[in-house]
Amino acid sequence: MIVASGAVGDSGSPQAPGALEAPALPPSPDPALTVPTPTPIRRGATSTWAPVRRTVLARARPEPDADAIARLETRTPEGTSNIVIVFGRRRDAAGRLWVQVRLPVLPNDRTAWVPRRALGGYEVVRTRLVVDLGALTATLLRDRRPVFRADIGVGQAAWPTPTGEFYIRNRLTNYDSAFYGPLAFGTSARSAVLTDWPDGGFVGIHGTNQPGLLPGRVSHGCIRMRNEDILELGRLMPIGTPVTVR
Amino acid sequence: MANDLRIDVFDPAARCEPELYESRANVLKRAFAAGGAIVAGGVLVAGLPRSAASAPSPAQDAEILNLVLLLEHMEADFFAEASVRAKLTGELLEFAEIVRGQERAHVAFLRDALGRKARKRPSFDFGEATQNPTAFSAAAVALQDLMVTAYNGQAANLTKGALEAAAKIVSVEARHAGWIRAITEKNPAPEPTDSPRTAAQVTAAVNKTRFLKSD
Amino acid sequence: MPIEPISDLTLDQLDRDGAIREALDGVSSRAGFLGKAFVGSAALLGALAAPRRAGAASPSDNAILNFALTLEYLQAAFYTETQRLGAIGAELARVPRQLGGVERAHVAALQDVLGRAAVKRPRFDFKGTTEDQVEFLRTAVAFEDLGAAAYKGQATRVDSPALLAAAVAIHSVEARHAAWMRYLAGFTPAGRAFDEGKPEFEVRRIVASTRFIVARPRTTRRRRPRFTG
Repeated sequence: MIVASGAVGDSGSPQAPGALEAPALPPSPDPALTVPTPTPIRRGATSTWAPVRRTVLARARPEPDADAIARLETRTPEGTSNIVIVFGRRRDAAGRLWVQVRLPVLPNDRTAWVPRRALGGYEVVRTRLVVDLGALTATLLRDRRPVFRADIGVGQAAWPTPTGEFYIRNRLTNYDSAFYGPLAFGTSARSAVLTDWPDGGFVGIHGTNQPGLLPGRVSHGCIRMRNEDILELGRLMPIGTPVTVR
Repeated sequence: MANDLRIDVFDPAARCEPELYESRANVLKRAFAAGGAIVAGGVLVAGLPRSAASAPSPAQDAEILNLVLLLEHMEADFFAEASVRAKLTGELLEFAEIVRGQERAHVAFLRDALGRKARKRPSFDFGEATQNPTAFSAAAVALQDLMVTAYNGQAANLTKGALEAAAKIVSVEARHAGWIRAITEKNPAPEPTDSPRTAAQVTAAVNKTRFLKSD
Repeated sequence: MPIEPISDLTLDQLDRDGAIREALDGVSSRAGFLGKAFVGSAALLGALAAPRRAGAASPSDNAILNFALTLEYLQAAFYTETQRLGAIGAELARVPRQLGGVERAHVAALQDVLGRAAVKRPRFDFKGTTEDQVEFLRTAVAFEDLGAAAYKGQATRVDSPALLAAAVAIHSVEARHAAWMRYLAGFTPAGRAFDEGKPEFEVRRIVASTRFIVARPRTTRRRRPRFTG
């Protein structure tokens, strides 16, 4: 209840001259909605992504004549909406809003600037996948706490899994391929060696029909895990989750 | 429109209020058919049927509108007096002058709608509340908050026509409430809802101000 | 000084994915065999739907609740995103924090009373208005004015007195917010003596013209991977 200064309050005083008499009116019914006490948003380690709404040149600086670094398409080679991670913004001299994004291009780990209007609506995720090439594990963190861990297969020496900061770009399902297991995630990471690979040589995270090889350095760069693990990860990890490979 | 609120004219819709004529059982049956749920104990949770005595009616509208008319008179006089006597400047002065005009418009609207049933013009003595900016601000915050909760408390008691008009007024009163609180660096909207005050609570609040000389 | 209207576009031009119709009808597009975007038919379908939890409203009130819920989703998401991005000035930071908390509480209350009949949260693209102080204030003014007008437009259509009591208690808070945002933006907090309500179709038109409600991006596909393996 709003508390004002002493001038107005709820407790009545005895009737004085000039005092008002209350008309006989029904009370208000109990409201049908119970509005809870407002609560703050949970602060945590969040990451923001957005779909690419139109083909655009990503530039080195937030200016229309800055060097173009890469071309961002609206679709991935798999036919899904292309997405980028967004982590900064600035206005240029003409007042246009630019955002800083992580790119799915080679060399890996590039960031650049695109006009805000080239992207769609923001989505926030609370998760992060940490891939440890030494320990051969993948750990999913949610609000910085581990909620999943699995043994993994990673790239052989000749075709290493790239290190750096990436993100989950899409999810592929319902395909018939035992090699990739029941579910595959596409990342923004690209093989630095398999540059002629069909569809660009993107690194995926997927199941396997050779679980006996895990953990191990066994792949052409992809991150493999047991099928039951990839299915569990599929329940826990949303698109746009940042991926740290070290 | 003021014509919709001619309460002294017989309102044919009142004849059609089924609650006044049906048995309680029929009312429950109708409400159930309309989709309300019966919980254990056989009592409707939402949409409790009103008793005949408290159903909206033109007569009840008149009582309610006269109650808020008193509040509007109080505000109109308060802001009129303060805008010349309270040594207001800047934002406070602008606020008082604009709100004065809008409260006067509310008074005129309600008096016109009530016609012969409008209450006699009350008279007020605001004492120190209209003498300086600090006292004015405190009183203005309290009066606007009172206004909002008074209207909210009666909304469910009004006929549809009166409700439509009341909603247009309380919306502006709530703006005034947010505005004066913003000027005085208070939280313009400290609660997620503005809980209603009953007529008795509103009356008690008015009496506590001791502003009313005669009604 | 009045706010310039955001450019108008018709609902049909914008609503390619049916997200707005779904949100405003309160009818899942899968069940929408009547295929009409009218509240009346939505109310009918609502009556045929699975039993709601005890205390739920009449079909017509349900449609009104879902209409209110859509607007509250919009406001809650707008303020939440603004707070998360942290791009507006420090002196205004309290605004999305407080208004976000209140609108999220409104969402929770409406979802709770609707239960399974609640429409799903739409996806939004706020197109930079959550990332810039001037755009934020301008949009906040428009949202709060619109929310208050929408509640006024529905007040006389509500069947349940208990729901009406709840609605007026929320409506006046939206009007307070509107005055506050106008004050911060340098506009007059109360432009006229009587605030007009807006009917549902007018509110829909304005929401659609913002293009803030968008389709889900397709990030999942049934397709064989061609990753490096």
